Amino acid sequence: MKHLNILYAAAGNVVRHKLRSVVVILCLVAVLFPFLSAIAILEGVKTQSRISVSEGADIYVTMDMFGRNGVIPIEMAEVMKQIPGVTKAVPRAIGRIYIGGKLAVLLGITDDEKPSSLNFINGSLPKAGEIVIGRGLAEHLNLEVGEELNIGTRVVAFIENEPYIIKKMYHVSGIFDAQSGIWASNLVLMSIDDAVSVFEMEDFATDIGLYVRPGYEAAVSKGLQKMNPFFRIQTKGLVRTYIERGFNMKGGIFAALYVLAFALTIPAILVTSGFGLSGRRKEIGILKATGWQTHEVLEMVFFENIMLALISAPSALVLSFVWIKLFNAPFIAPLFIPGAGSIPPFPVPSRFMPLPFVFSFFFALLLTMTGSIYSTWRAAIVSPAEAMK
Amino acid sequence: MTNIRVRSQESGVRRDELIRCEGVWKIYNEGRPHEVQALADVSLEIKKGSFTILNGPSGSGKTTLLALLGTMDRPSRGGIFMKGKDITGFSDTALSTLRRDSIGFVFQNFNLIPRLSAWENVSTPLIPAGVSEKGRRDRAMVLLEKLGLADRASHAPEELSGGEQQRVAIARALINNPEIIILDEPTSNIDAEATDILIDILKNLKSDSKTLLVSTHDQVLRPHADTVFELKRGRLAGITHD
Ligand SMILES: Nc1ncnc2c1ncn2[C@@H]1O[C@H](COP(=O)(O)OP(=O)(O)OP(=O)(O)O)[C@@H](O)[C@H]1O
Ligand SMILES: [Mg+2]
Repeated sequence: MKHLNILYAAAGNVVRHKLRSVVVILCLVAVLFPFLSAIAILEGVKTQSRISVSEGADIYVTMDMFGRNGVIPIEMAEVMKQIPGVTKAVPRAIGRIYIGGKLAVLLGITDDEKPSSLNFINGSLPKAGEIVIGRGLAEHLNLEVGEELNIGTRVVAFIENEPYIIKKMYHVSGIFDAQSGIWASNLVLMSIDDAVSVFEMEDFATDIGLYVRPGYEAAVSKGLQKMNPFFRIQTKGLVRTYIERGFNMKGGIFAALYVLAFALTIPAILVTSGFGLSGRRKEIGILKATGWQTHEVLEMVFFENIMLALISAPSALVLSFVWIKLFNAPFIAPLFIPGAGSIPPFPVPSRFMPLPFVFSFFFALLLTMTGSIYSTWRAAIVSPAEAMK
Repeated sequence: MTNIRVRSQESGVRRDELIRCEGVWKIYNEGRPHEVQALADVSLEIKKGSFTILNGPSGSGKTTLLALLGTMDRPSRGGIFMKGKDITGFSDTALSTLRRDSIGFVFQNFNLIPRLSAWENVSTPLIPAGVSEKGRRDRAMVLLEKLGLADRASHAPEELSGGEQQRVAIARALINNPEIIILDEPTSNIDAEATDILIDILKNLKSDSKTLLVSTHDQVLRPHADTVFELKRGRLAGITHD
């Protein structure tokens, strides 16, 4: 009952000192909002890349070319299919090209490789002479399904000082929709044969993806190595490690920056929670004068801080949720996703998890406690006459 | 000299001694510039159930002495005894307990908590005692009714007159049913009518056998007091017993 009483008194204080409460809450939200947003976006991007990794092939094979990844004959796919454990071997042709002044990723796949992330297409998968393009690209080029796109590959000659570029017309059979994620934003998807001809690789692919039965990864790798020592083999596990490492590094840099910002905010919070301190000090003196114990006063202030944190953390969460999910994270996304302008053209991936939220609550509590507990204690242990002055 | 006389007179009747101070000094900002000697070598004794007045001109140290006797402040030197126990060495916790159980203090400027209704102000001392909200309101209402303030119970201090604020402060001082009630200049901020009400309240408290300690710089309360201590420039300058 006693603690409940003090809790209610604390709630009363939060309401009674409206201005102070509002200022502290605003400050806390200002600190927590970027934190929650950043974590949500990082988690979202991480999840999306994890999905695309797990959807892709289990092993990617290229040819060693003086230590670099070199092209691999498409016919190798047929041979690799014979290795025990391999269920599918699909050649891919992947590369970068400029389309309308914009850098795009061109991916050529075979008909039997259709990962589920390719389900988010308005229109149909590309057949020969057709392409499916990403949303960002479609918006940039002002293209719609059914229209044609000229893709130029390279300058073959200069005729009267004008570059002569090989171009080919493609029919847009589909556009990736909003759910397809950031990777598909500037993607051009076409059949492997078309891609090979764009890249002028003739009978070669950039790599061959192998799908293997669970548990066969190591055996297949060994078989490949035996088949041709010039094969370069990348397993999914390896790719995943690279991705995680990349994200952890990004997360680490962010954490470091955040700690710095956090450190800079503490004085601000100190000032704001000290806001109206003389009135506060007097009230504490009055409570002590009427028989409150110092620890009871501290308990009340602790409860007040919990309430302020309980208001601030969810407010920051809601704000961050609205900012990202409704407004697509303007000004925040570009900090974490390279290539996203201040207003990103693709839906920014995000994932709100309970842990960062719980964390942000304790963050807020820590901040308000730092700001108030010492001054409260000082006011409570001096004689009431002194505190009430 | 007077101090010694007081003690020798009453040393045999220690049983009804409630508060005693011996050679008490209070020096503000001691050792710093603006040092103020507010009390110098004050010794006196207050009997259980008595009505004691502390008289003196402005700045004579009345508030300072009341604060020391009411455990609101600590002396720079000297001893203060409650029922024979030296409280100058009491811990913060022990002093809080003493204030909660035995002392009701009505400050010169009332010190009510702003934007908190009259009954809430009256019942704040009951919050840590674990009394339910209903219990607190009931007990506050009983007192406010006695003091003629029932219809003002939900008003904040800002909405009350000086006399009404004073009675809210008195009710708060009484809520824990303390045996000592200290009022600092209760007649200075109120008009004649409110003073009459106050005198009635004090008489009632006295008949409830409360110990009353009141400071004043006028003579209105004098006819009702048992003992009057005169303070001059921080020193005890005279004692009158009825
Ligand atoms: N906190 C303080 N710091 C410094 N000096 C103080 C403090 N409180 C009181 N004094 C000084 O101590 C002296 C006694 O003050 P006190 O308030 O006890 O007088 P008082 O008799 O209550 O006067 P009044 O009738 O005006 O209320 C005064 O000179 C005052 O200026
Ligand atoms: Mg005074």
